[in-house]
Amino acid sequence: MVVGASTQSPRFYPDDPIAREPESQDASKAAPYDQSQIYDLTYNLFVNSGHKASGLRAKNINTIDEVPDSSWFTNRVGTRPITSEELVRGANVGAPPDPSKWVLIREKTTGAHPGFTATDAGGETWFLEFDPPYFAQGATGAVAIATKIFWALGYNQVESFLTTFDPKKSSIDPKATVRRPSGKRTRFSQDDMNAILETVARNPDGTYRVIAGRQLPGKILGGFQYIGTRPDDPNDLVPHEHRRELRALRVFGAWTNLTDMKAANTIDSLITENGKSIVKHYLQDVGSTFGMCNDLHEWDLSWEYFYEGPPSWKRLFTFGFALSPWQTVDYVEYPSVGKFEGKVWDPRTWRPQTPTTAYMELRDDDAFWAARRVGAFTDDMIRAAVHVGEFSDPAAEKYLADVLIQRREKIKSIYLTAVNPIVNPRLDTAGLTFENAAVAGGVAEGPVTYRASWMRFDNATNTTTPLSETTSATTTIAAPGGLPSSGLVAVDISATSDKYPTWKKPVRAFFRRDGGGWKLVGFERLPEGGSPSAEARPSKPL
Amino acid sequence: MLRRAGRLWQIRKAVYGTFTDRFERRLRFKRQSEGWSSVSAFGVLTRFAMVVLAVASTNVAAAQPPPAEESPQQTAQPTSRQAEIEQQQAAKVPTEHPYVPNTAERLFRHVDTILEGGTLAWHPFFENAYSGGGFTLGVGHVNYVGAYNYIDVRGSYTVTGYKRVEAEFIAPRLFNRRGHLSVLGGWREATQVGFYGLGTNTAKEDRTNYLFNQPYASALLTMFPTRRVLMLRGGAEFSRWSQEPGEGSFPSVETKYTPATLPGLGAQVTYLHTQGTVGVDWRTSPGYTRRGGFLGATLHDYHDRDAAFGFQMMEYTAIEHVPILREAWVLAFHGRVQTAFEKDGQQIPFFMLPAVGGGSSLRGYSSWRFRDRNSILVQAEWRIMVNRYLETAFFYDAGKVTARTSDLDLSGLKSDFGFGVRFHGPFATPLRVELAKSPEGLSLVFASSASF
Repeated sequence: MVVGASTQSPRFYPDDPIAREPESQDASKAAPYDQSQIYDLTYNLFVNSGHKASGLRAKNINTIDEVPDSSWFTNRVGTRPITSEELVRGANVGAPPDPSKWVLIREKTTGAHPGFTATDAGGETWFLEFDPPYFAQGATGAVAIATKIFWALGYNQVESFLTTFDPKKSSIDPKATVRRPSGKRTRFSQDDMNAILETVARNPDGTYRVIAGRQLPGKILGGFQYIGTRPDDPNDLVPHEHRRELRALRVFGAWTNLTDMKAANTIDSLITENGKSIVKHYLQDVGSTFGMCNDLHEWDLSWEYFYEGPPSWKRLFTFGFALSPWQTVDYVEYPSVGKFEGKVWDPRTWRPQTPTTAYMELRDDDAFWAARRVGAFTDDMIRAAVHVGEFSDPAAEKYLADVLIQRREKIKSIYLTAVNPIVNPRLDTAGLTFENAAVAGGVAEGPVTYRASWMRFDNATNTTTPLSETTSATTTIAAPGGLPSSGLVAVDISATSDKYPTWKKPVRAFFRRDGGGWKLVGFERLPEGGSPSAEARPSKPL
Repeated sequence: MLRRAGRLWQIRKAVYGTFTDRFERRLRFKRQSEGWSSVSAFGVLTRFAMVVLAVASTNVAAAQPPPAEESPQQTAQPTSRQAEIEQQQAAKVPTEHPYVPNTAERLFRHVDTILEGGTLAWHPFFENAYSGGGFTLGVGHVNYVGAYNYIDVRGSYTVTGYKRVEAEFIAPRLFNRRGHLSVLGGWREATQVGFYGLGTNTAKEDRTNYLFNQPYASALLTMFPTRRVLMLRGGAEFSRWSQEPGEGSFPSVETKYTPATLPGLGAQVTYLHTQGTVGVDWRTSPGYTRRGGFLGATLHDYHDRDAAFGFQMMEYTAIEHVPILREAWVLAFHGRVQTAFEKDGQQIPFFMLPAVGGGSSLRGYSSWRFRDRNSILVQAEWRIMVNRYLETAFFYDAGKVTARTSDLDLSGLKSDFGFGVRFHGPFATPLRVELAKSPEGLSLVFASSASF
């Protein structure tokens, strides 16, 4: 990891690149805390929206520009093959709930959708969420689908199952309470349950479709913040705004329309792993996806922050005659999908409800990393994930999958071409071989020439000595003669393309002589300290 | 009447529940499932949030210091990446401490508590004793007497000396959340209410002032039998109106009129006021909406135990909102007709007659500008969304009062037009500032409710 690298340290250690971020210390002193949601909203809207990105490289990446596994993230799609079956299973490792009997044990404490906490016939605790009547199957379907997608993207997800709630097979635990406006907690009554059920979509047979989320293991600590570190977790070293997987939520969020990125939709849990307490970080609620965070008349959602100056001023001074894009975009609205489209949508102008600090810190190399993962979802995988939503309308299911595919292609074409897209360099007797992610992804044509500038690299002093240059019209470039028989070499690889001038900016790969061959130990797509590019920077609305 | 309208708004607000901008969707569900207290009301919270947000927007960055990166201790030089990271993690152990919220966050936590169902015991109260009282300051205190039921004791005072003190018991969740009961008792005094004579053809210079004070006790039950759309309301009020010489810079009413020329002049009338309303309401909220409408009819009966000033009054209201361009524009229309009928051998006191004029009717005219037995008011607004919390509006108002019901038509209407700015949440409009122009001049309106 880049974090804390001492100037006295060698650039590369023998164990580079690491595949997992270690959690060496006991975090049992981590204490529960829920950040004020109004504070989070205010900070995001009025401070973060003006946040000037630092331009710093993500700090939790390893030496080959990848995110190692951690208590935050597990490399899945884009790193290893994921079958549709595995995707559909997602985070679910246990059995689904037994809905033959529900016992309501307390109110639902998080999230916007109505619901409550209940135990199933097996006595296991679940968080139940319903659909609003105007989005029948939509809210529950969004959770079911999005948890699969975000699990595949590498995030820790809650085990979630679509199931049913039958009021005739339910009861209320005598100890269940609810907080009243008076501030007191009193017994949860049948009328309290009725008050919830009256506001949600009901099946014709009198049952209710619900999404059941399994209670997370461990001690719940509250949500994580998208800035800073937990002061009570010694393993949490990288400021969260500099964690690539959190920055990348800007791309993943745009893809899936995850508009509600507030800290309250995340959760930290203190678990025991290998006899040690560590904090595990979850994206707890990804249900505000597709068209599901749009209420009936919230047309501007995903187009503007809750508050955003320029479009507000524009409407104010033109009396609304200057139309905003959300006023003219065509939606094909299904109740189970909501307002979700891919024709006009642009990931660079997409907006969550409020911008987090990590969102603002996204750089082009972060976006490139994210786009490769989005691009790794095949059509079949997307359709399999959407099928998990169990929509009764096949047209809705097809539409949602089609839009996700359409948006995936836009993400690829924008972010894979925005920077030098060379990936997976290998050095062997055949020479230097690599791939062009944009070309491989079908969103760009190959450049005219590739150029490799070879250098000897001194790991102790972090200095280079030029050797020579080689070029090729293919993704294999001959290595020059006289490469050292030990130590490291560095190669700057650039591409010449009239259409993509940014490809001239080289990526740098480091190889260490390892036995009889060369091992990739370092890779740098964009140098440290550069300003975030126009692609990553927040764009003005269309 | 306007006091009733204000109370209607407050009751509907409580019936529907309340809001805040941040938890819009959560509260939308709550709106239909719970009756939150009207005192944890939008105006209170939004004003507070606006102030705090304004402060926070400049101070939060300073109040939330960036996380200090733990500097790696100068221990033995690591020989692997794993060891390097583990050294840094070990170095953080001595500095471990629980999360400490900064001052701004601690302040915001109180807001969270309120939004999550907590209670705002002390709250500002901006409703004055009577329309036209001017800038109002007030305070109230809420005591819960049940899970949802509470008593709100409150009072207000205006720059013109209008006073209001009252206590209200609210039961917002009767009959399985279909009913809302308000029991109210209090006293108020308005010191300089304008009276310009009867009819529409009066001059601005004809203004006189009168004072009234009124102790009152009432009960009002609002029912939503189907929990939405259909609304039924019934109530009774026992009160005594005492009309006295007015204060202020205008002549007092008795200097220009006599009891013979102006029924009710100097009267003390004790009323048993009963009322019944039938309405259909398909707005998202009466306090703020961009779609839907309302149709309602109310019959009032004022029974004077001395059989001198008894009368009845019918009030018809129609509201419609037409969203355009995905609700970025809304054309809003409002019509209201009031007709008062005296009982046999009795008279309608002048201060109880229907009226138009003021911040909620003819905004370019002063409050109570036109009075007579019947009134008609039509309003149209072109509302323009600026963002989720701010909208502007061009408006046009027209209305008149008549002595005969048959004259209630659209001829000879007094009119005004203007432009306004409204700060609103999803369910309420805590601040409305408007500039209206009429033949009688410019009027600046400050209000803490929607225009209609």
